[in-house]
Amino acid sequence: MNSKEKEKDLQQPRILSIDEDYSIIRQFIDGDKSAFQVLVKRHKEKVRNIIYMTMNNSALVDDIAQEVFITVYRNLKHFRFESQFTTWLYRVTVNRCKDYLRRINVRKIFSPIEDGYDVSEYSTPAENNDISRIVMDAISKLPVKLRMPLILKDIEGFSYQEISETLKCEMGTVKSRIFRGREKLKEILQPLEKELME
Amino acid sequence: MNKDIRNMELLSAYIDDELSPSEKAEVDKLLATSLELQKKLEDLKKVKQLAGSVERLPESPFFETRLMASIEGQKNESSKIRRWMPATALAIVTIVVMIIMKFNPGLLDQMWENQKVAITGFYKENLQPVLVAANLTNEDVFNFAFNNELPLDDTRKQYLLLGYDDAGKEFFEIRSSDQKVDRGSYKEFISAMNLDDKQKQTVDSIIGSYSKALESQVLVNEQNTVAINPNLWNLRKAIFADLLVASEKLNKIKFDRIVPEGITDAEKLVVVNTVARLKNTLGDKYIFVTPDSIFEESYLFDPVLAEKNLKWTEKQIKYKEQKVKEFTLNLKYDSTFKYYSELKSGHPFTVVIDSNICRVDIPDFTNPEISIPEIASIDPLIEQATNNIHFYAYKIPKIEKSKSEIKIEYYNDDSVYSYVVNYNLLDIDSIVQANVGTDFYNLERLKETRPFDDTMLIKYQFDRDYYNRYYSDDEFKKQMEELQKELQELSKDLKNQKIRVHSEVTKSPKK
Repeated sequence: MNSKEKEKDLQQPRILSIDEDYSIIRQFIDGDKSAFQVLVKRHKEKVRNIIYMTMNNSALVDDIAQEVFITVYRNLKHFRFESQFTTWLYRVTVNRCKDYLRRINVRKIFSPIEDGYDVSEYSTPAENNDISRIVMDAISKLPVKLRMPLILKDIEGFSYQEISETLKCEMGTVKSRIFRGREKLKEILQPLEKELME
Repeated sequence: MNKDIRNMELLSAYIDDELSPSEKAEVDKLLATSLELQKKLEDLKKVKQLAGSVERLPESPFFETRLMASIEGQKNESSKIRRWMPATALAIVTIVVMIIMKFNPGLLDQMWENQKVAITGFYKENLQPVLVAANLTNEDVFNFAFNNELPLDDTRKQYLLLGYDDAGKEFFEIRSSDQKVDRGSYKEFISAMNLDDKQKQTVDSIIGSYSKALESQVLVNEQNTVAINPNLWNLRKAIFADLLVASEKLNKIKFDRIVPEGITDAEKLVVVNTVARLKNTLGDKYIFVTPDSIFEESYLFDPVLAEKNLKWTEKQIKYKEQKVKEFTLNLKYDSTFKYYSELKSGHPFTVVIDSNICRVDIPDFTNPEISIPEIASIDPLIEQATNNIHFYAYKIPKIEKSKSEIKIEYYNDDSVYSYVVNYNLLDIDSIVQANVGTDFYNLERLKETRPFDDTMLIKYQFDRDYYNRYYSDDEFKKQMEELQKELQELSKDLKNQKIRVHSEVTKSPKK
């Protein structure tokens, strides 16, 4: 065993000790399909919420979340145990959301205005909470590249490191995008400041 | 990079606690000297706080179930497709598909069928008789025959309710309640029939003899599926009628009170025939109600296998010295129900979902493979007996309304008291004025002998159709309170001699 390989071997347990999902994934790879349900149960709400915040459309949440977990199910046997499971899961989630947003934008170009996608049309849970609704709608007006880091940081509470791994971009970029996202959000919310303060 | 922007970014990362110690010191220093930066910091904090205040999505209890069903479905579909498509090149595939579609136009249907089979298969897994799963007792079986309610799990908080709507069509409801459902009807029946211990044993053995038949009629599993055999409606009638026939032999006097017209030989024959047929052949069609779908499918319940599985589980439990796991269901229903087999079978369902009730109407219920048309002939008998058992067991007034009068009957100390209020004579004052001095209705005597006592007012009206009309206990309670008020008014009017009352006491059983 050369020194590089040795180093790699030494690194693995460090990650193993911090990721509780690893043992479950191993069970799954060893043929225990029910282990997958444990993973789903553990992470589904976070995945659903990231989708909900990104799409601002509760009607799409479960469809997209289902696609995410089906993708994970199909590829889990190739999981390399080199990074946290959640990093991969959230990356799949974010990418699937981006696909959907792209599709919606394309549809918007080709369909008459009245049939277009209205961000607030399907939103549900926050109906009784005006502030929440206003802020959600404002977030959905942010460009996707600013929206994603802001959601992961301010709503889901990820660290910059986690965001950088999930979105596959540099830490500096994450820092800058979060700042720009907040600035832009403030700008969008400016006319509504009075309502938000009430 | 512009210095100002760099500072702002540092500030943004500062509130996220994502700066290195040296960067943090730098920001602290800047903040101490710049009011503008302090204001900026406050703004950024406010925006972060607002974003963090967004309401989260409520949990989805069905997500895993649907996901697993979908994964199962796709597995099945893909293996099927693979068999049909030798993937050499896209062009070949296209041609093959075109040829297949030309000669086998039903392929899409077939694929849909496969998907359906996978999903239904998922919900059909490990079905076990509710009799075993919920440890049903004789009381439960009696309650089922008498009140149409069958507990579905060990908690006794979730149960199945059978019924007939106004048009006489079958429906059922799967209900979850916050409290244990305990009607105590068996005890009431024993007391209404005045049966001693030995006679009770006979009734017990009759109920026991239905366990086997009931075993395969309602099945449940941990996927929260409830499978109901359409013969269940008839089986309930049969159990009830059989108990009636038996109770005639056990206590003829009390029986006559419950069924004044008696049971004819022809009716007994129907009961015997129904019982025999239902006990021997039970049919293999089931209505499956799952958290997100309803469908009718064939399912072969194998009692021998079920028993074997049960024994094995018991052995395992004993072996591992584990506590017996309580079987509990978590019945929550999705409002977007899917219907399978609506095209081919003649059973489209109407489903209404409330927070804790799933009601399924079966307008085209052509019941069972085991057709017993003559069973309808014992319906009046069952209805009469049910009403009378309630009447005698619970001491509640029987109220009959017609166009010209209301008749109230109640039972106490082996006597039936009867009051008739005539609408046409409600304007008593003018009649009294026109016939001064006449003791029209012996009201004084009435008051002395049988004061209209408020305590006899109903707390609960065990109306056979109550479930049809009221969806919740609250609504039922409200209606009962209104009725109670109405009766109190009536009682006041009686005391004030405003209403003509014709009353009689029937000491002997009514014929």
